Amino acid sequence: MREVIIKNQTGLHARPASQLVMECKKFTSEITLTRGENTANAKSIMSIMAMAIMGGDKISVSAEGSDADAAVESIATFLESLED
Amino acid sequence: MFKFLKNNKEYIIAAPCNGKIVGIEEVPDPVFAEKMVGDGFAIIPSSKDILSPVDGEVIQIFPTHHAICLKSVDGLEIIVHIGIDTVELKGQGFICHTSVGASISTGDLLLSFTPEILEVNGKNPITPVVITNKEIIKSLDVQKGTVNAKEAGAKISLL
Repeated sequence: MREVIIKNQTGLHARPASQLVMECKKFTSEITLTRGENTANAKSIMSIMAMAIMGGDKISVSAEGSDADAAVESIATFLESLED
Repeated sequence: MFKFLKNNKEYIIAAPCNGKIVGIEEVPDPVFAEKMVGDGFAIIPSSKDILSPVDGEVIQIFPTHHAICLKSVDGLEIIVHIGIDTVELKGQGFICHTSVGASISTGDLLLSFTPEILEVNGKNPITPVVITNKEIIKSLDVQKGTVNAKEAGAKISLL
C-alpha cells in the first residue's frame, strides 16, 4: 500500500481518470483507491469519477493479486506524476 | 424445437439539449474519441440547459459542475461532460440544478452552462454523452443530425 497526495489542482477528471484506468488494466490484480472512508475500484472510470478526487487529496493505493506490488508501485507513481 | 425470444428491447438515450448529434469519434479529444471513457455520442449544443438523457439516479456531480455521472434504471452508467477541457474553467458559468442521489426522469434539468464563457476561453462546447459500462451494450445506434432536447440521441439494446 502506498499513499500519495494528488498534486494537480484539477484532480482526477476525465483525462487523468481514463489514463489511470488504462494503466490499471495492465495488471491482473484488483486495485483500490481509498480516501478516508471512500473506496474506488481503480479499473472502473465511473467508480473513480464518483470519488471526485481533487488536488490536495491524500489517496491510498492498494492492490490484491499476483502482481499487486508492481501494480501499487506503478499506480502510485502515475498519480504522483499528474500535473496541470 | 422451441425458439426462445431474446430480449431485443430497445432503449432510448435522449439528447440532453438542443443541437446536432455526432458520433463520439468526432469529438476533438482522444479521451472521448478513442472511447477511453466509454461509448456513446456527442452533441454540439445550441441550448444551454443540460437535461437528463435517461430515467435513473445521479451518482456524482463534478465539483466544478461541468460533468455529471448518472445510472439509468436499466443499469447504464452514463457521464454527460459539457465541453472539452472545461474542468479548467473551475466552474465559471456552470450551474448545478440537482443533487447526488436524486432520482431523475428523462428531461429533468441537471446542469446549465454559459456558452459565452466557453467561447471567450476557447473551450469547445461539444458535449459527449458516454456509457462507461459499455460491456453491457449489445448495439448502439446513434441518431445523427439536428435534434431537440429529449428526442432520441441514440437507440441502444443490452446483452
